[in-house]
Amino acid sequence: MELIKMTNISKYFHHVVALDGVDFYLNKGEILSLLGENGAGKTTLMKILYGMISPDSGEIYYKGQKVNFHRPLDAINMGIGMVHQHFMLVPAFTVLENIVAGAEPSKGIFLDIEKAREEVGELIRRFNFNISLDDKVERLSVGEQQRVEILKALYRKAEVLILDEPTAVLTPTEVDEIFVILDELRKEGCSIVIITHKLKETFAIADRISVLRDGKMIANNVDPKKLSENELSKMMVGREINLGVKRPAKNIGKVRLRVKNLVVKDGGRKKVDNVSFDLRDGEILGIAGVEGNGQTELIEALTGLRRPESMELELNGKKLEGDANTFLRNKIGHVPEDRLAMGLVKEMSVKKNLILGYHREEDFCKNIFLDEKNIEKYAEDLKAKYGIKASHIEDPISALSGGNQQKVVIARTFSRDPDVLIVAHPTRGVDVGAIEYIHGKLLELRDRGKAILLISADLDEVMTLSDRILVLYEGKIVRECQQGELSDVELGLLMTGGNLEMALGGEI
Amino acid sequence: MKDLKRKFAAGLGSFKLSFFALFFALLTGAIAIALSGYSPIETYKAIIVGSLGSKQGIILSLSSATPLIFTGLAFATAYKVKMINIGAEGQLYLGAMAGAVVGAYITGLPRLVHIPLTLLSGALVGGLIGILVVFLKVKFGASEIITTIMLNEIILLFTSYLSSGPLKPEDSVIPQTHVIQETAQLTRLAPRSQLSSAIFIAIAAAVLIHILIKKTPLGYEIQVTGLNRRAAETAGISITKMYLITFFLSGAIAGLCGSSLVMGVNRRFVEGISANYGYSGISVAALGAYNPLSIIFSATLFGILKSGAITLNRTTAVPIEFVDAIQAVVVAYVAAPRLIEAVLSLKNKIGLKKEKSLNRQQNLAEGEVIKDDGNI
Amino acid sequence: MMEIFNILEIIITSTLRMSVPLILASTGATFSMRSGVSDLGCEGMMIGGAFFGVLGSYIFDNAWIGLLFAALFGMLFALQHAVLHVTFKVNATLSGMSVNLLSAATATLLLQIIWGRHGNSPRVSAFSKIQADWLKKLPVIGEMLAEQNILFYLSLVIVILAWIYMFKTNSGLRLRMVGENPQAANTVGINVVAYKYFGVLMCGLLCGLGGAYLSLGQLNIFVDGMTGGRGYIAIVINAFGGFSPIGSLLGSLFFGFFESLQTIFQGKLIPSNIVRMMPYILTIIVLSIGIRSSKAPAGVGKYHDE
Repeated sequence: MELIKMTNISKYFHHVVALDGVDFYLNKGEILSLLGENGAGKTTLMKILYGMISPDSGEIYYKGQKVNFHRPLDAINMGIGMVHQHFMLVPAFTVLENIVAGAEPSKGIFLDIEKAREEVGELIRRFNFNISLDDKVERLSVGEQQRVEILKALYRKAEVLILDEPTAVLTPTEVDEIFVILDELRKEGCSIVIITHKLKETFAIADRISVLRDGKMIANNVDPKKLSENELSKMMVGREINLGVKRPAKNIGKVRLRVKNLVVKDGGRKKVDNVSFDLRDGEILGIAGVEGNGQTELIEALTGLRRPESMELELNGKKLEGDANTFLRNKIGHVPEDRLAMGLVKEMSVKKNLILGYHREEDFCKNIFLDEKNIEKYAEDLKAKYGIKASHIEDPISALSGGNQQKVVIARTFSRDPDVLIVAHPTRGVDVGAIEYIHGKLLELRDRGKAILLISADLDEVMTLSDRILVLYEGKIVRECQQGELSDVELGLLMTGGNLEMALGGEI
Repeated sequence: MKDLKRKFAAGLGSFKLSFFALFFALLTGAIAIALSGYSPIETYKAIIVGSLGSKQGIILSLSSATPLIFTGLAFATAYKVKMINIGAEGQLYLGAMAGAVVGAYITGLPRLVHIPLTLLSGALVGGLIGILVVFLKVKFGASEIITTIMLNEIILLFTSYLSSGPLKPEDSVIPQTHVIQETAQLTRLAPRSQLSSAIFIAIAAAVLIHILIKKTPLGYEIQVTGLNRRAAETAGISITKMYLITFFLSGAIAGLCGSSLVMGVNRRFVEGISANYGYSGISVAALGAYNPLSIIFSATLFGILKSGAITLNRTTAVPIEFVDAIQAVVVAYVAAPRLIEAVLSLKNKIGLKKEKSLNRQQNLAEGEVIKDDGNI
Repeated sequence: MMEIFNILEIIITSTLRMSVPLILASTGATFSMRSGVSDLGCEGMMIGGAFFGVLGSYIFDNAWIGLLFAALFGMLFALQHAVLHVTFKVNATLSGMSVNLLSAATATLLLQIIWGRHGNSPRVSAFSKIQADWLKKLPVIGEMLAEQNILFYLSLVIVILAWIYMFKTNSGLRLRMVGENPQAANTVGINVVAYKYFGVLMCGLLCGLGGAYLSLGQLNIFVDGMTGGRGYIAIVINAFGGFSPIGSLLGSLFFGFFESLQTIFQGKLIPSNIVRMMPYILTIIVLSIGIRSSKAPAGVGKYHDE
């Protein structure tokens, strides 16, 4: 039975097409994978269905009736729930408060907290959610927070559940757990849309696939059993892509950076716990780990942004100490984990951003002034060399796409001839074309003998690029392995504190 | 060529915003005047004639503008790193007191030494207050907004204590200090006026700050810090250092305003030496889009309004405080490009010429979008 | 012995009196902050309340109508803040400062226009001490309580009601959710803009009453600059009190105590100008070391549609 039908949906943002005459439907009791790469318009389409964005044209039918959702509440009242990619939770509230807020049971004007507890408790029992109602949300793991979000929707009697990139932040084990829950919901008659760009998961759970590309619906009714991963990815991107091809390092050289006994504390807790490793010329050393296991602190310590509790750092055999400036001057390049928050000044021009961090170096200064002419020449040069798509080097960074913004960061860092590169989440939120490009650049630099430390939440990325992998769990390195030595499931297990020998021994 | 056009368009955006903000503020003022039973047209006419219609008026306008250039510049300088210095009033008072002390109690110096020394004494104490504010912020996380306001009250009480007690001349009945030495007095540019060479110091300060921000690596670092603190840190820029530098400069400029008032206008410290110049500086800076050079003009504009209102006060019954009200409204309008856009689009609906998105241009021009971090 | 008791009585009586405007304003600030709006306009709202309270009382020769005026005009200035910051997304600091500048200018201007006076208004009818003989008969505290006027008791009631509202009602939960995470509140169908307006207007109302206490409760005239930065101090007290009405009450009593010490020292050992610095210095100290553990609502300054 067709539960939802959207016809001819179009949406423009400042004259840029986000959705172009899109048709969409959802059947009762199915799990639909809404597939497409970053920026294809998946989230926009679902936000329209959820009443968060109003379409410029098009119609929406729910259970055969034409509906007009002006705000999320309209959709909620009709039984549509959405779990956003960035969770819409209040960290300072308890689980219970988060679930009921906005639809609280009441006694007069007062909150009936006991009734709320009963009702939510009933839901938790029914779907086997393992969660405690009185915990503050700020203390929950990401997986648990996601369950709270789903409970929020179920508490509002959702029959349709939209999940935006539900697995992006989960470990392989947590992914399995959430799939069990979704399966359970499907059995209860719930209809589910999963917004994703990951093929593996699509194949694992979806009954049907719809593919969006550049704001257009490419295919609305793909049977996952009848297509291969390759065919589907071609459909999603529009051309062949070459991700995931391994190119091992040929000449790994001497130790460039030696880290010993690194400890970083935060509020009394050890975020990085006695980490030691060597980084050699001509290799990519990958750090695998679930976010929040000390990666940020590790990066901060290795780029001079934070004074660790203890660390013996040797660069080229010499002790190195100091602040971020010292590290940069010693040719340790840094591609920060969040480009807009840390890497770029979005109101400033591409030109000015291309010298950030290096603006006091000789070629950019003349006497006490900035050498505008030289800077301009330099910027034009990098723009051409790195294929940064901007109409002009005076354009503000905010006018560029995510992929091109990241290229600015990459161009800036890679062009100053660093000996060591600390690269964090280099391809987060960029389109496939840029991912290919950035991966290629990283390998190129490695082959030129640079020492690269790669930190990424994308396990596939770490596995493809790294010559060696360290697994970080709760601030400790729990395992070191060579490329191809461990499978993704094995790495995932280690990342969540599992014990390889025991787990595999039990299973096999 | 393309660059010039681009810069021009961006500049035009903020100019347009300031223009409409002032226009709507004057309009609001007109409504208020009408509601209080006076004729807005007559009043504004009287203001223009009073401030620009005679040599005396023009001199008064310029002398009224001088302290506003300083305080507007002080606010704008701190604002370059998105710090709010509401303490210009206090820094000004302390600068004035320092100037009064150095100017009066140090004797026997040649003018060429005594004048800069007295000026700089004001700048120094103002700058030190700025340093104290940054210290409290960096070390303890204390919001500079609150600390500067509290310091205003403290400094006002302190200088009032000094001028009514230890430093008061014996023959004086009102709270004030001794007259400063002639070697510390700034030249008056016109007889029997308050216009002194301080106006050149103010303009020079504005030009220097402009060059510092736009042309030097340090200015680049200041801009980056103001627009994205974390990006600045990642780029190896010390935030604390940037705060210290800008807030020291900001406080120093306000302090300079104080010492120059003593040296050019009052010749001594008197209670109430500043007619809320420190607070007016916020309006001046906002109207000048926080651009040091534009501030010279926005200060002059308010100077004209003020001198017009002073003459107005002699001829009609519209009170001088009315200028303060207009200044206050200007801040609201300048801060709200979206509001101006909304008002303009109202006009569109009744068939007037369509305005392009002011807001966007404004953002491009200065990037003045700041996030509140909720910390106080 | 008797002497010490007397001094104690004077201090407590004056502590309570000094606290009232701070209690009202900081509770108002609580509403604003809990709805996610930075409350830098408190000072201006207090000035508005102080001035228009006097004006209302002057026109109708009735302090209660003055109080009503104070509440309404406090809310009017709050409305300016809400329109600028919530609707037109002006940075809350600038928006709040514009409220402060405008209300101060309005008060001085109207002093001129209405009464043709600089600096202060004529005398108007004000609130006097509460008339309750039974209160005086209470042991120890009776005298001190009887020294207070009705606004003192009103402020206590307001604090309790505000606390019940914020932590025990549906609407209060929603207000807090808006303040913590406006986007989340929006997605569950809460009208974020309405709650923010409500928070800011409540702030205006209470700050208005706090201002009126200064002009109609402690005195019977409006004096230029009579709020003396109490609006800013209230902001610090609010943070000091963990953004809760009860915390604000306790913080206000703490500050009120230090302000009351002035009455003891004034004009005696230390020059009055120096003594009067005390609350401001205390504010800086509390701001620096007293509120480090108190966490502001996470959504302050954020919008639901960005």
